[in-house]
Amino acid sequence: MDQEIYLDRNTFFHRLDPRTKILILVVAFVVILYFDNPLWVLPLSLLIILHGFFAKSLINLKRISFILVILTISSMVLWSFFANGEKPLFWVIELEAFEFAIARTLIMLSLVTEGMIFLSTTRTEEFVLGMIRLGLPYRVGFAISTAFRMVPTIVSNVFIIAQAQRSRGLDLDSGNLIERIRKYIPLLIPVFVSTIRNTNVFGMALEAKGFGAQNDRTFYYSSEFNKNDYIVIAFLIILFAVATYLKINGYGTIPGLTKF
Amino acid sequence: MREVFKMWKYTRMIILVALSAAIYAAVLIPFKGGIPLIPGITEVRPANVFPVIFGLMFGPAGAWGAAIGNTIGDLFGGTLGWGSIFGFVGNFYLGFVAYKLWGALGLVPKDNMEQNVNKWTKLLAYIIITIVAAAACAVIIAWYLDIVKIVPFAFLAVTITLNNAVAEILLGPPLLLLLYPRVKKWGLIWTDIMDKEDVARGFAKHIGAVLMIVGAIGGVVVGVGISTGLYGQQILGFTGTQGEVGVWAGVAPFLAMIVLASFMLSGREQFVEEEEEI
Repeated sequence: MDQEIYLDRNTFFHRLDPRTKILILVVAFVVILYFDNPLWVLPLSLLIILHGFFAKSLINLKRISFILVILTISSMVLWSFFANGEKPLFWVIELEAFEFAIARTLIMLSLVTEGMIFLSTTRTEEFVLGMIRLGLPYRVGFAISTAFRMVPTIVSNVFIIAQAQRSRGLDLDSGNLIERIRKYIPLLIPVFVSTIRNTNVFGMALEAKGFGAQNDRTFYYSSEFNKNDYIVIAFLIILFAVATYLKINGYGTIPGLTKF
Repeated sequence: MREVFKMWKYTRMIILVALSAAIYAAVLIPFKGGIPLIPGITEVRPANVFPVIFGLMFGPAGAWGAAIGNTIGDLFGGTLGWGSIFGFVGNFYLGFVAYKLWGALGLVPKDNMEQNVNKWTKLLAYIIITIVAAAACAVIIAWYLDIVKIVPFAFLAVTITLNNAVAEILLGPPLLLLLYPRVKKWGLIWTDIMDKEDVARGFAKHIGAVLMIVGAIGGVVVGVGISTGLYGQQILGFTGTQGEVGVWAGVAPFLAMIVLASFMLSGREQFVEEEEEI
């Protein structure tokens, strides 16, 4: 399994300043949560899909396809039951609840997709620089970006250790889903132990390169706003203003819906 | 709270923040689609064992790691939303309460503060800490989500407390017994990395411990009492009105107790001189 989520492509979105990419992520997360009606969520979801398409990043969704399928099923089923409405649809589910379930599912999938697009178009060092330029102390920015980078590494280690155990004769493939999950649990301990053990090596490597030697640091990688950044930021401001105006004026709701 | 900010000058503590966050997120994400308790808000979370054991072993780095890891889990699990803001704070407190209370309860021997559960008194301290940490996290998140009318306080506070505490009590002790000796050998326990002077002195620590316990558990009990008694909420349901001033004002003093206790508790008592092995 490839540990790197970043996709080295030369697209319009890859070339943007990391601050602009962070802003896209934040605005997408804020405005999509404004609406309950799937017809109002859908255009925003399509915008995110377009973002992923032009950033050539949608391929990365394959890596989390299992989670996306499970999220879709569980969200559709549970929100249909959790919410209430006035018009009966089938069994105990009302039309308004079903519409809300579609909206919530679209929102969840869009949020995950936008997060994946961000990591597919942003290198770790860009991510750090973006956060520092936005005012975060560089040590904090480094910790956050390293955590993001380590998640796929840890998942990858699970597969490596599983393969090593398979080669020693451990049967991980038979049984039902719960039995298979139970077989994977003992494999997690060596993953945690190996991850924690690397801390000292990681620390020495960082200190050898002067990490933390000075309060202010310089960067090999640098990035400045250009025309494309201003165009994207202008679009984001308009999108945010319009969506906020519509939200304040009560658009995007489902009449007759009781969420809980 | 001094060590919460001072820890950022230690390179190993910064790496431990990243590591704690990554492990927490890596285990949270697969369960996001597992058994949702409230879709989009929370689900059955066996990963919740990590903030407490990382808090005990890595101190403030474990607390920051829990906060960041939860946010990463929300991002990739599709549950990032308004609740994630206080989810960050609540998860921070899961790890924070763990290391702050460890030496303040009076159960762990003063000459043997190692953060393990290899003695009955330490196991008892661990269980008390997990319940208090779980309740503190629940009060913080449920208070906010009730105010903004997303989820009723009674249902969410009880769900989060049980969800956290069950994972921590069932999975924590064996994990801690397995991981602690190794982490100690590698010199990665927070008291082996940080200087004692960089840890808050605190004051009236035992009173601070009592305040933390009363603030966390009292907040859940009183909040549930007010929300079910006055506003028709249910522990196992989504009924009743949310955003009522009674819940807001009734729980706020307990949150203030939690914050005050955070400044009173220290963690310095865990810096014990160890005899060198020959």
